[in-house]
Amino acid sequence: MKRVLLASLGVLTVATVILHRTLPAQRSAVPVITWVTDDDQVRHDTVALFGRWLAENRLPPVDLRIDLRDNTPTGPSKALIQGVSGVADDLTDVYMNQLEPFQKAGILLDVTDIARARGFGAALTYPAVRSDLEVMGRQYGFPRAVDSALLWVNRATFARYGIAEPPSRWNWDQFEEIGLRFVAAANPPGSRQRVFFLNRVWLPLLRRGLGLSTFNETMTRCTLDDPRNVEVLRRAYRWTVTDRLLPTQAEQYALVSDATGFDSSFSLFASGRFAMIYEGLWALIRLHPRGEFQLRVVEPFTGGFPNVEVGSGAVCVYAGSPHPELACLFLQFLASRPFNLLVARSGDSMPPLPSYARTDDFLHPPHHPGEAGVQEFFADTTRDCGIAASRSPFILPNEVFRIDREEFEEVLAGRASPEEGARVAAARINAGIALNLAAEPGLRRLYRERCDVQERIAERRAAGRPVPANWISDPFHLAYYRARGWLDKGGVP
Amino acid sequence: MKVQSARRRCLVGVAFLLPNIAGFCAFTLIPLALSFMMAFTDWDFLRRNVFRHDPLQWVGLGNFTRLLVDTQFWRDLGNTCFLMIGLPFAIAGSLGAALLLNRIGGRRCRTGPALAAATLVLAASGLVLLRGGMPETGVWFLFGVLAATVLLAGVLTRGSVYRTLFYLPHFTAGVATYVLWKKLYHPTSGPINLALNPLLDQVSSAVRFMPGLFSIGLPLAGAAAALTLVAWHLLRLRRRWDDSEAGISAIVTGSLGPAIPLGFLLARLGLPGAASAAVALAAAALAAALISRRPRPWGPKCAADAGLGLEVALALALIPLLAILLACVVIGPSLPARAQAGFEAPDWLGDYGSAKPALMIMAMWAAIGSNNMILYLAGLSNIPQELYEAADMDGASPRQRFWNITWPQLAPVTFFIAVMGVIEGLQGGFEMARTMTAGGPAGSTTTLSYFVYTEGFETGRLGYAAAVAWVLFALVFVLSLLNFRYGNRNAND
Repeated sequence: MKRVLLASLGVLTVATVILHRTLPAQRSAVPVITWVTDDDQVRHDTVALFGRWLAENRLPPVDLRIDLRDNTPTGPSKALIQGVSGVADDLTDVYMNQLEPFQKAGILLDVTDIARARGFGAALTYPAVRSDLEVMGRQYGFPRAVDSALLWVNRATFARYGIAEPPSRWNWDQFEEIGLRFVAAANPPGSRQRVFFLNRVWLPLLRRGLGLSTFNETMTRCTLDDPRNVEVLRRAYRWTVTDRLLPTQAEQYALVSDATGFDSSFSLFASGRFAMIYEGLWALIRLHPRGEFQLRVVEPFTGGFPNVEVGSGAVCVYAGSPHPELACLFLQFLASRPFNLLVARSGDSMPPLPSYARTDDFLHPPHHPGEAGVQEFFADTTRDCGIAASRSPFILPNEVFRIDREEFEEVLAGRASPEEGARVAAARINAGIALNLAAEPGLRRLYRERCDVQERIAERRAAGRPVPANWISDPFHLAYYRARGWLDKGGVP
Repeated sequence: MKVQSARRRCLVGVAFLLPNIAGFCAFTLIPLALSFMMAFTDWDFLRRNVFRHDPLQWVGLGNFTRLLVDTQFWRDLGNTCFLMIGLPFAIAGSLGAALLLNRIGGRRCRTGPALAAATLVLAASGLVLLRGGMPETGVWFLFGVLAATVLLAGVLTRGSVYRTLFYLPHFTAGVATYVLWKKLYHPTSGPINLALNPLLDQVSSAVRFMPGLFSIGLPLAGAAAALTLVAWHLLRLRRRWDDSEAGISAIVTGSLGPAIPLGFLLARLGLPGAASAAVALAAAALAAALISRRPRPWGPKCAADAGLGLEVALALALIPLLAILLACVVIGPSLPARAQAGFEAPDWLGDYGSAKPALMIMAMWAAIGSNNMILYLAGLSNIPQELYEAADMDGASPRQRFWNITWPQLAPVTFFIAVMGVIEGLQGGFEMARTMTAGGPAGSTTTLSYFVYTEGFETGRLGYAAAVAWVLFALVFVLSLLNFRYGNRNAND
């Protein structure tokens, strides 16, 4: 028995040595860095181009490898836990609601100084996506792509039921009017509804259309108990439950294997069961494998204030990376001309540098004639109406998202009135802020400062006086104040 | 020499055990101790991890007092308890399956494998026909042949095929079965609703044709059945009291069983919640008083808690049965009006009211063919045949054989299954909810384990999540103690 045990020990030791010797870092002659991202052709082209760019610029060679990103619902939590445990990859894609928890956990490298020195500062990209790269004025990444969500129109679906397509800019009443005609035409009376007008609504966008944000100007308090949010919830309920313009979340979830309903929208849109979907330009990545379509994009319908939410797929460097310098080279590459041209030619997201969104490569992709004008509309709308998501430093955005979704579901399930849903959502988010302030003394000073500013903003607004731009932290309020002419011309953020 | 040898043997023994002990310490004991300590701290892994070292604050019982006022915690505890209502039915199902398999296993037939092979050949032929272009009827033929295969092979191979089929849910990966059930539950294309819809169409036609029968007859029948059930239950309680098999605690618990659905019925009929609860409690108290004030003519005095375990189990089974019957009373009068528009099968996972029962049904399906069934099979094979032979000689009916021999002899197995079921029920539900409903709609399927995950890994509050986990442990511990104290584990002694 002892011999068997010793033999097992020996075999395990040899296997460990072999495993160690076959690790990518051991087999590669140059340093290996890994990038957590999706596995698609553009990413592979990016890796190849990065190698060439390094050589052309006489920079040290790097063996960049892709590590497949986990797109399941548990993916972000998994990435966070790996990060705080010290075992994450060198580079990671960071999407909506991920930057703040990652930064708070300290797992992202602060690249502010190196970005300034090497020319990939946040100022190079769209102003609206700076909040996807920066926290409290410090930069943590650079965008790989910029995108905004608009409404995709499947023209063939509208033509099939003889309904006129929506205009490029429209309001809630037009949405209801066209939507009701569409679902009536697409679903024979007496049969179960199979065709819907739109896949989902994005509540923050609807609120912004009425001039309301999730937070106040300084993001110290949640304002979802505002009557405007009650109206948003009432409308969303009507569209989903009464008018059936939208499917319930469960109707979408039921069609896919995971619980997110993530991929079902595209197949239902392609098959004509959704007339429109609310997605970014990246939707083309999902739609192209499903065939050629006659597509158009229009702005999301609003309650008066036109706006779209802009976001970026940022790439950030892991604070525990053994090769932070080399990883930063990749961020530098993202700001280069070859990479921006690559993104522009792919046509499925906007290049990180705005000037490349005006090139012919981006505006007129040759391969998909049915999508003519789509890219240009995205570029124009992002420039004209793009606003970043509202994310308070006092509460994690994913917590806000979860609470908001749960209370909306309570309303949809008929268990809470819109008034109650709005009130409870605000109360829960404000309780979360209070909890974080109690647990984190470092936040309290900032909170008190901002509360003072908030009081001064309220005084100025009450007196009808303009407010300095640098008093306002919430990106929506900043854009709204600017559009209304409420900003002090002298105040520079 | 002897001392040296003994010491050497001891060291060798410890060396053999060391890997196991080390694994237990590393992966169970130390994490357990750490989590216990964490429960008294404000550990947030976003603020304290490999990269950030904010000081850890001891909060004493703060996390525990917080969860007392956390509405999410109570909601999720309620959801967890609701899902456990299926436990008695799952146990009964396992026993039924084991009894069936045991009966089938008693027969012998050597031609079984040959017949099974012949049926498989038929099934293969059906597949070939289908592949060759046979239309829909081919599918039904195929399913028919497969069903025949299962039937023949099961019966003729002494049930071993059935044993495998019944045990299949247990060794199939959880997520795979959840995905399968998700497809089954799909509101429009799921087989469950596809089967239910024609049935409901027929029912709605029948209701429209004979409205009186359903609006008056169904409530009357429901009420009569409910009253019969309650009367049987109370009479049974009285007999157990007279026979000194049940103490006062058991009588009170047994009386509460029917009172709970009564309270819900009164609330549903418009009585205020507090008044409904008061009336229900008064009814339970009256029933308990009427039973317990009777003198015991034949039996000696018994302990106050005698027979409590059985009454709790029976009450748990009685509550959903009565709820269904009382639902007939409530829904019946409105049926004709509802039937005008036709009955629709439930949106199983999408509706707040049906999502929990849908998950419960699925969990019951999984539990029926699990280890429970195997344990019951083992238990059945251990019952001495002489007992049955003696019962036959006494002229006992099958029902008497079951209640007087099988059921008491299986008491230790039932006790073990009940204990494990309670433990698994309180700890479980995470994978199921995550995969099928993401905890929705409106949090209706979020269980305590899901809550622990959300708090721990989505918002980073490890301290609070640990506190919830320890409360969960305390619940499991107390219920297990009660089970040991009042469970009928030694009935065959």
